[in-house]
Amino acid sequence: MEYLIIGNSAAGINCADKIRSIDKTGKITILSEESFEAYGRPLISYYLAGKYDIELMKYKPAEFYKNKKINVVLNCQAQQIDTKKKEVKCSNKKTYKYDKLLIATGSIPFVPPVKGIEKHKNVFTFLKLEDAQKIEKVITKKSKVVIVGAGLIGLKAAEALAGKVGQISVIDLADRLMASVLDKKTASIMQKHIEEHDINFKLSVTVSEVSSDSVLLSDGTKLVCDVLIMAVGVRPNVAVAQNAKIKINRGIVTDKYMMTSAKDVYAAGDCVESLDVLSQQNKILALWPNAFIQGETAGLNMAGEKTPFNGSFAMNAIGFFGIQLISAGIIDPKEQGYAEYVEYDETKITFKKLIIKDDKLVGFALLNLPYRAGIYTSIINDRISLKDLNYDITKRDIGLNVFSQDIRYNKMFRGKNG
Amino acid sequence: MKKVYAFEKNCLGCGLCEVYCKTAHSKSKDIIKTYKKENIQSAIVVEEILSPKTKTYFALQCRHCSDPKCVKACISGAMYKDETGIVRNIKEKCVGCLSCVLVCPFGAVKKSTEKKIVSKCDLCIETGGNPACVQNCPNNALKLMDEEEVK
Repeated sequence: MEYLIIGNSAAGINCADKIRSIDKTGKITILSEESFEAYGRPLISYYLAGKYDIELMKYKPAEFYKNKKINVVLNCQAQQIDTKKKEVKCSNKKTYKYDKLLIATGSIPFVPPVKGIEKHKNVFTFLKLEDAQKIEKVITKKSKVVIVGAGLIGLKAAEALAGKVGQISVIDLADRLMASVLDKKTASIMQKHIEEHDINFKLSVTVSEVSSDSVLLSDGTKLVCDVLIMAVGVRPNVAVAQNAKIKINRGIVTDKYMMTSAKDVYAAGDCVESLDVLSQQNKILALWPNAFIQGETAGLNMAGEKTPFNGSFAMNAIGFFGIQLISAGIIDPKEQGYAEYVEYDETKITFKKLIIKDDKLVGFALLNLPYRAGIYTSIINDRISLKDLNYDITKRDIGLNVFSQDIRYNKMFRGKNG
Repeated sequence: MKKVYAFEKNCLGCGLCEVYCKTAHSKSKDIIKTYKKENIQSAIVVEEILSPKTKTYFALQCRHCSDPKCVKACISGAMYKDETGIVRNIKEKCVGCLSCVLVCPFGAVKKSTEKKIVSKCDLCIETGGNPACVQNCPNNALKLMDEEEVK
């Protein structure tokens, strides 16, 4: 059996790992368009900040690939999938055959068309290690940096560059930072904290025009700009799947066994749309744990062990300048029927928010209160009725003592994971 | 594999397990020095169960899950399950993003007080694999037992 995996990150590697746990002899090949061994993409900001070197960034030790007989081909971009001949043509002029194929091509940066952007010579995105290295090369202590996008990626870039450059401005179309993750209150606490590190925000504006040394904003402000980082967002990287006429909606469409519309072709990770169990809608959930689990699930199915993927929901853990945000589920409900419980301490910069609907916890956000957040996540995940718990979770800190003795014992003593 | 199991009936909530956990993971291995000079996070959570008349307690540490969510959430590859089943965190690789804290259903991974990383139970593997919390529990409320035996 020949297994071919396009993409060398969370989904791809863990797919390979899972295949090998079942099929001890099949040939497993991973194709990577990058020139580095696999690394956690979110680590690039730590690299740019100088806190992390390339050696430490490696996701798996060298023995992993050797012991599991997983062959990784670097600098190899998959260009054309032939689902009839079951082969993939690549940028290195080679063609790879497969019996089972995984598409785990991840995300690509979305760069909106901006007038004059081609006139600026230092325009970057911030998704791959290569991007961080390019930025590293051009910045100086005096550089004036403009980051377009106040989402996770833009803010992590700003944090990495703080203290290393002359000026940092972050602009966003939304009225707050991390608009897709944060509600207004949490966003404003976060913004205040980040501003203390000499990062300027210009919100509710867009870039109207770029020239060789400045950007003009929609409110008429002109910002001097030596380095422009476009961090507006990411999109599923579906090009190679699309060329092969594989069904695409928001992302690559799969069945619950992670198989695409093409036989023996599977897909996992950020390039896929998956079921958000809280909204019961298919969404792009570009999250590391989601990619890992989908990759594993695809691997099991590719190796013949039929296993469904049961859906996921949004979750994030991220820190900026020592302030920590942990959130999961729905934290800024737009419809009726949700109850919000908020505790806020401005002096300690802490914030706790629980969102409850129909006696179920559906979301939470904790700022600088990371303690035992995973218990909330499990309560959301397991769809537990809050009335069955030992105490009112809105009234005190969460612990395993929230569960009845029976459930607690089952979790700790008898559970698969206890 | 063998894990530490907590027996609520016997737990006094004294917190000695935490004291010895910190000491076992200190540089000095001395209780007083650990407390005075080393800022170490214990890998144990002592929980209080409130019932109408009495208070009972139990001490919880990492369950070393067979299918660990923390390992799946880890963005750096720092968290892994070793060949003996122990879920371990490579300190040098950990960036302290707290993705593991976000997903641990037991709330058994903590933010470290020393550095911007996380800290969790390693079953005292580096000091011989005989957990300090179990050895020093005065009332047998913590036992190192084989998981098959427990089930």
